[in-house]
Amino acid sequence: MTPQPRQRLLWIVAAVFLIGWPWLTEDKFLHHVGVLIVITSIAAASLHLIIRTGHVSLCHTAFMGFGAYGSTISVMQFAMPWPVGLLVGMGLAAGVAALIGPIVLRLTGKYFVLITFLLGEVVRMAIVENAAITGGSNGIFNIPPPFPFLTNNRAYYYFALAFAVLGVGFCARLLTSEFGRAMDAVREAERLAECSGVPVIRLKVTVFILACALAGMAGSLQAHYIRFVGPEAYSGFQSLNLVVMNVIGGMSSLWGAMLGTVFMVTLPELLRGYVNLQQIMFGAILFATMAFLPGGLIEAGRRVAAFLRSRWPSTAS
Amino acid sequence: MFNATILGQVFVNAVGLSAIYILVALGFTLLFGIMRVVNFAHGEFAMLGAFALFHLIKDWHWPWLLALPVGVTAVALASLLLEWLVFRWFYQRMFESMIGLLGLNMMMMFGAVLLWDVHERNIPAISNEVLMLGDIIVPVDRLIVVAIAVAALALFYAFIRGTRAGLAMRAAAQDLEIAETQGVDTRRIYKIAFFVAILLAALAGALWGQIYAVSPLLGERPLLMAFIVVILGGMGSIPGAALGGLLLGFTESFVGTFYGAAASAFLTFGVVIGLLIVRPWGILGTPEA
Amino acid sequence: MIGKFKLAVLIAALMPVALGAAQAQETLKIGGIGPLSGGGTAWGLAAQRGMEIAIEEINRGGGVKAEGKTWKLELVMYDDQYTGAGGKAAAERLVNQDKVKFIIGPVGSPPALGVISVTNPAKVIALTNGYAPQILKNDTKDPYNFRIYPTNIEFGPPLIKWLKDNAPEVKKVAMLAPNDAVGQSVAGALAEDYRKQGFEVTIELFERGIKEFTPLILRMMAQKVDAFEFDGNSPGDAGLMLKQIRQAGFKGKVIQIGGPGSDEIIEIAGAAAEGFLSYGVFDWDTPAGKKLRPIYEQKYGKGIINQFMPAFYHTVFLLVDAIKRADSTDTDKVRSALDAMDGFDAGIYGPVRWTGKDSYGVNRQLMFTYYLAEVKDGKLVTKAKFVP
Repeated sequence: MTPQPRQRLLWIVAAVFLIGWPWLTEDKFLHHVGVLIVITSIAAASLHLIIRTGHVSLCHTAFMGFGAYGSTISVMQFAMPWPVGLLVGMGLAAGVAALIGPIVLRLTGKYFVLITFLLGEVVRMAIVENAAITGGSNGIFNIPPPFPFLTNNRAYYYFALAFAVLGVGFCARLLTSEFGRAMDAVREAERLAECSGVPVIRLKVTVFILACALAGMAGSLQAHYIRFVGPEAYSGFQSLNLVVMNVIGGMSSLWGAMLGTVFMVTLPELLRGYVNLQQIMFGAILFATMAFLPGGLIEAGRRVAAFLRSRWPSTAS
Repeated sequence: MFNATILGQVFVNAVGLSAIYILVALGFTLLFGIMRVVNFAHGEFAMLGAFALFHLIKDWHWPWLLALPVGVTAVALASLLLEWLVFRWFYQRMFESMIGLLGLNMMMMFGAVLLWDVHERNIPAISNEVLMLGDIIVPVDRLIVVAIAVAALALFYAFIRGTRAGLAMRAAAQDLEIAETQGVDTRRIYKIAFFVAILLAALAGALWGQIYAVSPLLGERPLLMAFIVVILGGMGSIPGAALGGLLLGFTESFVGTFYGAAASAFLTFGVVIGLLIVRPWGILGTPEA
Repeated sequence: MIGKFKLAVLIAALMPVALGAAQAQETLKIGGIGPLSGGGTAWGLAAQRGMEIAIEEINRGGGVKAEGKTWKLELVMYDDQYTGAGGKAAAERLVNQDKVKFIIGPVGSPPALGVISVTNPAKVIALTNGYAPQILKNDTKDPYNFRIYPTNIEFGPPLIKWLKDNAPEVKKVAMLAPNDAVGQSVAGALAEDYRKQGFEVTIELFERGIKEFTPLILRMMAQKVDAFEFDGNSPGDAGLMLKQIRQAGFKGKVIQIGGPGSDEIIEIAGAAAEGFLSYGVFDWDTPAGKKLRPIYEQKYGKGIINQFMPAFYHTVFLLVDAIKRADSTDTDKVRSALDAMDGFDAGIYGPVRWTGKDSYGVNRQLMFTYYLAEVKDGKLVTKAKFVP
């Protein structure tokens, strides 16, 4: 088979699987995990965009928080329909990103990591302190679903899947476009890119705003699914989880973010009864990945594929 | 509220706070300065130091003067195993070190929970006496911590400035490749630096555990404090660690007493964020190329 | 002939199997939810251990007999990470995958609210902790949840009155509370109860995780407070606060209407704990306590035992007794049985009562006899006893 039809076949198989698997089981818990994976993939993919410009953000879930609280408060306090809430949430996230982006994106490497971590904590503290608006540490309960028919997990899965296809698809499209090449150039050789005429800061800020808006979307979807928001879901630790998803999966490609998402969402759910061991194992995986396989699961996959190919060379190319 | 006695007490409290923060930050900044490693597991070594002191005093009934140095040294020696197993993969690889050592942090913390269970333990105070300076209360145990911190700073500075090993470390911190061509054995220097850094962390942790309480979750707070101090003062700078520790301690004491805990937290974070924006290498640090 | 003989042998061989099946042991899964990671781990582990010890004891005694069967109990425990989303996820898993009908836990309010949003529609009985009034007082039409540990709404006012009567010099009270869910609900409510009885109250909130309370203590002392109140603080934090308060030279009353965590506080504060007043529900010197301690220490090692352990131990017996009375594992019948169990005495807390109609609209708040104790020479001495 030549590459094109093979790729198309893979896409069809993937699509059939994504659409079909919820009907293979009636287990609501599995549907629940599916919803979580799909929503988190939007957040992980949008973080991947920021990482591709060379910045690792440790406050990405804070923007999910903006989306979540913006959407929740619009719907519950101001009786807006959910689509408006979604836009408010995304707008809030994008707005804050536009405000702080030009300032923090000038920082490099470790300083960017540190400042985003601190900013994330500031946002969390602000949520806690302003209890009158945000419900403080107790959070907001009984958030209504986006539409009345979305009360069962399987239905919500399809709802979220639609948004995920849009969101992740957008990220993929962006990365493979001319703009995406400019992003890669900025990451690999910033000064050179600037000399070649790429407006570096403007590009970074644009990506940041788009990515944070998508995070806001994920936040709103999540809030109306779990039907509860609380500040601890948007802490630096949760942002770190998103980063880890990208890192473990592999930071060089969007697929890495997807792989990492599936891995990191299912692991805690599977091991919910064995917390200590889970955390120790998780720590060991982090260490081993960073020490020996910085390219993540994708790199592992590539190495395995290369090894297999060297052992059994195929006649087809 | 703003009278002489209160202000004096605030000052005394601040000095006590700063001492602990400086001790915690010293080892952290050393690891960064020499090996370019961001030790996210630093708090866990502090926790181990606290448990070492606890066991020596409670189970083996050693006197404090003996238990403290021996316990802390034991932790540092034992940690050399971790240096060989874990840390050496991350030297000069800053980003990987952040996440990889975070993994180590989790392994150590939850391993400690399995070993020691979560409840908090108490180490009997060094002394329950208080000195009175007029109306101002100076707890003797805090005074001793301050003395230890000052001694540690002085000894450490003497080591870095006065010994050959210290000279080699400074050379490695400035430019690793040139130092190697000058004959510095980087592997040996790294081990020495690691030992000293963990020694300081364990010492800080032992004292922290004695003043507050000992538990496997002890390490989180000192780690955050070390971060803030080192960002304020400058990563890799020892005078910076001292300055950062003083700044943090005094801010917490003054703002916390007069305006409450939330104000203190917001102000600290705000200052650190501001500093990262305008002068990311800290007050006494040097900008990197 | 041989054929019929073979058939007879077959039937004879199968008889014991058939009889055995009629008396077969079935497993009844009990769901447990609590914080098994993060800052709340001590509480989660205490809950888990209390339940494990109770379940082992019951199984050793032959299990639970209901519906003509004997049930062996099995605990399925999940971590809720002390968050609302975590509680909801754990409940989803227990209800939808493990198919449990009874859940004990969680410990905190955000997870509890998350849990009941899943269990009530699914008609699963939830015996929760958590201080938030909304756990019992809400718009749910047909709730299946109960609260198994008293909150400051119940024991606050009588204890405050005791303070007023026995320490008339106290006019101004300082409350220290973490700015998380506990602090923001418990402290506020308790402060209101104090104010209703004529006290002046200032609340200082701090970030959970800090260990150095000296600046805040100095701040309160500068405002000339007469007493410190520890409300819902964890035993670890309360112990440190007490130590630092005495180190700062404060000579007034220190009380905790909340917790309780007296054992840990005495351990951490040492000599500074002298004179500390505390709400208490469980005395380790009672026969029940003396029986429980060695069992716990044998399984889990020596050390301070968190007060939630006996509470969750007790709740298992409460639930099991309700199942026996209902002679059913159907949740409607067990719920009715639970509602009718005023006066039930498992030997841990004495006779218990369901209260709460005035505060929440339903009588699903468990109340037991409680005490006010004072620390004298490192030991707790009961000063007053309150029977609901």
